[in-house]
Amino acid sequence: MMRLTKVELRRLFSRRLTAFALLGALLITGLALFGAFQEAQPLSGEEQALQKAAFEQAQKDYAVNGKQMVEDCRKQQAEVQQQDAKADFGCNQMEPTLENMGGKPVATFKEMSRNILLGEAYLLASVCFLIGAGFVAAEFSSGSMANWLTFEPRRMRVYASKLAAAGLGLVPVTAALLSLLTAGVWLITRQLGSTAGTTAEVWGDIAEMGGRAVALAVAAAVGGAAVAVLVRHTAAVLGIAIGYLVVVEMVLGQWLQGARPWLLQLNIQAWLEHDARYSIPVCATDSRGNYACEQVEKVLSFAQSSVYLGLLMVFGLALAALVFRRRDVS
Amino acid sequence: MTKSTAELAISTRGLRKTYRNRKGRHVAVQGLDLDVPLGGVHGFLGPNGSGKTTTIRMLLGLTRADTGTMSIFGREVPKHLPEVVGRVGAIVESPKFFPTFSGRKNLQLLAEAIDRPRSVVDQVLEQTGLGDRGKDKYRTYSLGMKQRLAIAATLLKEPDLLIFDEPTNGLDPAGIREIRNTMLALGAQGKTVLVSSHILDEVEQVADTVSIIGHGRLLASGRVADVIGDQAATSVRVGVADPVAAQRILTDGGLLVRLDGGLLIVEGAADGAEITKRLAAHDLFVNELAPVRADLESVFLELTAGEGLGTVGEARDEGLETVGATR
Repeated sequence: MMRLTKVELRRLFSRRLTAFALLGALLITGLALFGAFQEAQPLSGEEQALQKAAFEQAQKDYAVNGKQMVEDCRKQQAEVQQQDAKADFGCNQMEPTLENMGGKPVATFKEMSRNILLGEAYLLASVCFLIGAGFVAAEFSSGSMANWLTFEPRRMRVYASKLAAAGLGLVPVTAALLSLLTAGVWLITRQLGSTAGTTAEVWGDIAEMGGRAVALAVAAAVGGAAVAVLVRHTAAVLGIAIGYLVVVEMVLGQWLQGARPWLLQLNIQAWLEHDARYSIPVCATDSRGNYACEQVEKVLSFAQSSVYLGLLMVFGLALAALVFRRRDVS
Repeated sequence: MTKSTAELAISTRGLRKTYRNRKGRHVAVQGLDLDVPLGGVHGFLGPNGSGKTTTIRMLLGLTRADTGTMSIFGREVPKHLPEVVGRVGAIVESPKFFPTFSGRKNLQLLAEAIDRPRSVVDQVLEQTGLGDRGKDKYRTYSLGMKQRLAIAATLLKEPDLLIFDEPTNGLDPAGIREIRNTMLALGAQGKTVLVSSHILDEVEQVADTVSIIGHGRLLASGRVADVIGDQAATSVRVGVADPVAAQRILTDGGLLVRLDGGLLIVEGAADGAEITKRLAAHDLFVNELAPVRADLESVFLELTAGEGLGTVGEARDEGLETVGATR
């Protein structure tokens, strides 16, 4: 089994698709860092002057009209609050501030690293899915699988070695890319923003999120390989993936809002972000006969998503194993 | 006398495989009893769609048999296939490798999978005449080179049994001769070579023994010469100055005679001395008298005439029997 996995690993990294996909991931990681660099750039002198001028003008206006504006705001708020007691028009925050005049908040490592790691996690999962699918599907479509089985006819070993290689082989690569990204964001925010408040707890959160992103990438690679065992063509795997995203996640997800906790996208979000908040409309007719809908916020917990995604993986892998064990190979 | 499975390289009993599709069930192999003796080249002959490749696939564990038993070197397969697979090298249909890897890389991966040293790869590449092209991508190989690479792959294991499925398909005459010589050499080394083919000449030229299959059933089996002798009537080719007169004389004498160009073909188990004597009595002297040896094609056509397969060409077109359609 170990020997087979080693051979499969060698094959995985000899493939052009693997090389191109990882190169693409590296390129996009570089672009993400460039984006972070742009975002963290402080305002130029000209921009700062414009901001200051706008702020001063707003201050003048507020000095003249501020009292009246706040009064009007409170009046309107009070009217609406008769229907909805929670209505808040933000009347207490009407005084202009420099930040509100086209200002730019200081880029902090804590905020920026979290957002950029989330984006990278989805990117890596997609790339790993493609690599895993192509890795196995190529064997079926080229006919090499039959040749391979004449050398190692124990199909479960063959199946396990291929999936293990797809998953394990991408662990160091994804970990390296995530580390590169984190280090890049650290350097950018240290130079252009702020790394203050990066406590051990923040580092712990980043490490956990990175770990979950690596696990997601591994699961995507293994999942892609398993789907490839079932459909045997890379194009078919991609077709299924895109079809699922469009039909189930986008169309059905909008149409059947109550089914959202069962959709992959939200579960992956909950897994990565350690809980995901989402809202669904709850509509009812009140005592006065008015039909109204209200957005109710719900939480999909990390534990729920872990169990759900885990069960999906187990089911998918078992199905692919069963099919591979029994199906004729040509 | 029936040989025990231990004396056979391959043995199948009552092997059956059906495929399902929208048109019904296709019986690819039905109750096949096949014995391949140890050592030498065994031809596995039949038209396209007669069940040869399906049988080979079942032996190699690539396709599941519906019923029946199979053994390789006396070990029941597919149950014990992992125990004997190291002694079996096989090319099923066309060679299949990763097109973007070099020939050497393809072989290296296979060698590593069975724990063979890398040096063996260079050895088998040299052995099959691919030493100089090993570094080139597989997709740049000609069909003959692909076939040679497939043979090289089978040799990685140092097998005792080699299974070649239609090995000369698409090859030029030089390639065909090369493959033929390889098979003969392997057979001469004491290895067992099972070569499946629908090309009758090919089998006749390399095989010591043969099994003929049609409609997924064994039609005949034995030594090539015996199978021909048993199944085909001999005829005699006669050369004479006046073939028309000679045809009349021999026909009057009760023989079945036909004209073939300027020669006569006397069908049936004709006695050459009797022909000479009759013609000489009418002052017609024989200038050529040669037995016409039946070939495997005649044998196959004779064997399959009762099976409803018709000619080899028709059998190729018909493909697999459709049980659903014939009922």
